[in-house]
Amino acid sequence: MMAEGEAEWELSKENIQPLRRGRAISALHQALSQQQEGATAAVNQQRQAFESELRMYDGDDPLGVWDRYIKWTEETFPQGGKESNLSTLLERVVGKFTEEKKYYNDPRYVDLWIKFAASNLEPLDIYRYMQAQGIGVTLASLYIAWSEEYENQGNYRQADHVYQEGFKQFAEPRDKLLQFHKALQARASRHALMNIVEDSSDDESKQPERVSLVDLKHRGKKKAIAPIKRTGAAIRCVSGGLQSHGAPLRNNTSNSQLVIFDENKAQSPVPSQSKLESWRAPPTSKAKENEQRPEKWCDVKMPPKSKFGNVVMAPPPPKATFQPFVEESDQPPTMTPCKINPSVNTVLSARKPTREETPLKRLQDHQQRRETEAGKPPEQSMYCKELLLSGAAEFCFEELRAERYFKKLAQDIRTSTVQSSASPEN
Amino acid sequence: MTSTLQGITLKGSSELVADFFSFGINSILYQRGIYPPETFSRVTHYDMSLHLTTDVKLKNYMNNVVAQLKEWLMECTVQKLVLVITCLETNEVLERWQFDIQCDKSAKENCAPREKSIKAIQDEIRSVIRQITATVTFLPLLDTPCAFDLLVYIDKDNDVPEKWEESGPRIIDQSEEVRLRSFTTSIHKVNSMVAYKKND
Repeated sequence: MMAEGEAEWELSKENIQPLRRGRAISALHQALSQQQEGATAAVNQQRQAFESELRMYDGDDPLGVWDRYIKWTEETFPQGGKESNLSTLLERVVGKFTEEKKYYNDPRYVDLWIKFAASNLEPLDIYRYMQAQGIGVTLASLYIAWSEEYENQGNYRQADHVYQEGFKQFAEPRDKLLQFHKALQARASRHALMNIVEDSSDDESKQPERVSLVDLKHRGKKKAIAPIKRTGAAIRCVSGGLQSHGAPLRNNTSNSQLVIFDENKAQSPVPSQSKLESWRAPPTSKAKENEQRPEKWCDVKMPPKSKFGNVVMAPPPPKATFQPFVEESDQPPTMTPCKINPSVNTVLSARKPTREETPLKRLQDHQQRRETEAGKPPEQSMYCKELLLSGAAEFCFEELRAERYFKKLAQDIRTSTVQSSASPEN
Repeated sequence: MTSTLQGITLKGSSELVADFFSFGINSILYQRGIYPPETFSRVTHYDMSLHLTTDVKLKNYMNNVVAQLKEWLMECTVQKLVLVITCLETNEVLERWQFDIQCDKSAKENCAPREKSIKAIQDEIRSVIRQITATVTFLPLLDTPCAFDLLVYIDKDNDVPEKWEESGPRIIDQSEEVRLRSFTTSIHKVNSMVAYKKND
């Protein structure tokens, strides 16, 4: 049986997401075999158990349940993915305890935040947010994860900076932080060394590009000089010469009334965040450039194709600048008088631009709403809304009621057995 | 090995097994990141691409170990080879790769080659090394600088050679153990296993 199991993890090795803390092999076997048999009933049952535990728990450590739930999810769904529901769970749990200051420097909570960040498109934003809120600022693990993210992006300087910040905050355990910082420095120096080796090997490509055309000479009264360098800002700073054409152009602008965009002058945007400022405003989600919103497929129309196969976007119909000729005999169409005040009518209002929704943004919105609600007279739902919606899945009243009922039943049985076992002695 | 392609002798078997350890240990050191990746070079062996260290010190060490191991394999006195990965700072054992070796001692007297083709043996070896590579799917990340140690278990009545010292088994307490595939040359049988720290 063991031999079969071995083959199984090996066969699906590509579908197992590595975890930092490793996987228990028994859980992995179980998860993989369940997947093959499609035995989701057991998984669902366990998930339901966790969900109800989340709601019924009344001890003083609700985070513990969440922690176990998420660990179980990781082990049970080795391939991750949508059905694991992990990202929803992480979002819920980090949002749920933002009020609980006692968890802010709880390693479990901070680990959950780090997992949440790792599953996010912009982990750096999350780390900065954590710093601003004071979540995990005294724990080494925050700085380690943060620095690793910078390192992944190749920004060794910032990665080092994060450790300095950690030392400043006296993050614990200090040994661990020191050790990881040392390892980072070793990697950084090795990286720098390798770069030098590479540089010396292909020195020629790093030479400034040859300039094949000279500046155009101005003729007559016009003093405009067209810039001829078309390679962007990166090359320009290397070559050093030929930088004078920026100034004459500006002098010229008063003359021609036109501000000409100079692409050589335009700085290429520097993506690295140069300062570690803490911020409160929601971050711009620039990473989500080409993301498609989910929509019904039947509503989507294929753009018309030209005969060359290229997709041609139909030009927007130009507004007619002329009055269309109307036959005099033609009756104007009888219009039903508009009874609704058009300014109030919202049936056909312009669609508001959909807001980009990042998990972090949702989280902040949630918090802001809570803050604004604090001022207003509180809206009170006359049912236990919190309990129904608190987990990753929604519960219905009956489920909650059943849960309470079974709990009570179990208690009754226990007390009755205690009584019955006690009675013969007396 | 030259005269009969179909059979295998004690000497050939010892060589094959020693080779396996050389490549296997190199693979582990590479996969687990004990040494930086740029100190390895790629070679093709067993019809697969493997990594061998180019670090001179490590190479010498490995050659010594493998030569000694070959001797012991010839004498059929070796029982186990264990690769222990420890944390450099705390000296805590994080991973333990254990290879149990069963020797057929009758091969020492009976010199007749056994019936097993090299190709079949190499196939088996290949699948073991593949599995070693695949273990990264469940092994915990080694996020601290690590060192490694090789332990060899030999029969009690043998003397410990110079440069070798006696050591404890260095077992991980609270560990997960995963058996890997095994292979046999019909003289030496090698069972592989990895144990790692259970983290919760």
